[in-house]
Amino acid sequence: MTQPFNELRERLLRAGVAPRHVRRYLTELAEHLADLTAEEERAGRGRADAESAALIRLGGMDDLAKAMTEQRQFQSWCVRAPWATFGLAPLLLLAGAWFVALFTLAVGWKIFLPGSDTPFVPVGGPIYGFANVYFQVDRAFFFGAPILIGWGIGFIAARQRLKAVWPIAGLVPIALIAVTAQVRASRTAVPGGFGHIGMSFALGSSAQPLSIGLYHTSVVLLPMVLLMVLPYLIWRLRKVAATD
Amino acid sequence: MAARETNPNFMNGVPELLILRLLQQEEMYGYEIVQAIRIRSGSVIAVGEGVVYPVLHGLEREGALKSRRKTVKSRSRIYYSVTSAGSRRLAHLSETWTNLAAAIQTMLTGGQHDPAIQ
Repeated sequence: MTQPFNELRERLLRAGVAPRHVRRYLTELAEHLADLTAEEERAGRGRADAESAALIRLGGMDDLAKAMTEQRQFQSWCVRAPWATFGLAPLLLLAGAWFVALFTLAVGWKIFLPGSDTPFVPVGGPIYGFANVYFQVDRAFFFGAPILIGWGIGFIAARQRLKAVWPIAGLVPIALIAVTAQVRASRTAVPGGFGHIGMSFALGSSAQPLSIGLYHTSVVLLPMVLLMVLPYLIWRLRKVAATD
Repeated sequence: MAARETNPNFMNGVPELLILRLLQQEEMYGYEIVQAIRIRSGSVIAVGEGVVYPVLHGLEREGALKSRRKTVKSRSRIYYSVTSAGSRRLAHLSETWTNLAAAIQTMLTGGQHDPAIQ
């Protein structure tokens, strides 16, 4: 794609036009430019002159950008409602992912550890084979979900050329929830009854004083946020390197 | 990218009318639409050709147009055609613009404005 279209793409994305609309617009502009260039060449112009004339006929950068940006219907949701994209949606996504993880845990408990008082088994613990893989995959999904959601936030922000404010505002609560979440499981008093799996959120363990809990949470929170924001940071650094 | 002189009012409802009118006759892709507008308007309507696409995409989102990618002579292009909702919109726009043009023409020629056209 030619340089004018690269500039136009950046302008449209920064103005909040959804990437899928930008992609389609630029694709059709490129096809239109090819038709115009061919027409100008048929009229007897050289290749370079034909391309220049075709670009002029296609329209000025301001006109092309304005025609797209003045239509609100082409704006992306992360610009129209950033609070929903970076605030609400990640929370709902995390809740959904953790529900699936806990449900999978409960099913595994019932199938593989029917007599056990807890579904939690230490890594390389007393169960082996498929059952072990089952619980480890579920554990990886539970702990990986917030990180994947953080990467998703970073990807969406980078794709829309957003500044760091909204992505960070979305990442920090997810990271905080992730590092304070605790899963508890207990067997009911009724013999043969179903177990109970629940979640709570706390700063450290209940046995620790609050100050130590806060300290431990902060120590875990920082690397968690850094890990989640990594793709966005890489994009920002690459952008800075490209500008220099 | 250099600009050329265009009709500043082109974007105020006229492109929808012209595009719907052209596409009602046959399906076209963007370049064909712009050339058809230029030829049929005797080059009176001048526009940066690229700005036709946001109009096309907007009409498609509103359900007035539908599109499909089609390969003709080894070139793949997006062709647009009018939907039934687009036909109704064209009829409404045509009526509005016909009345408006008649009113303006009457005023320019110094005639009495028809009170029915209000």
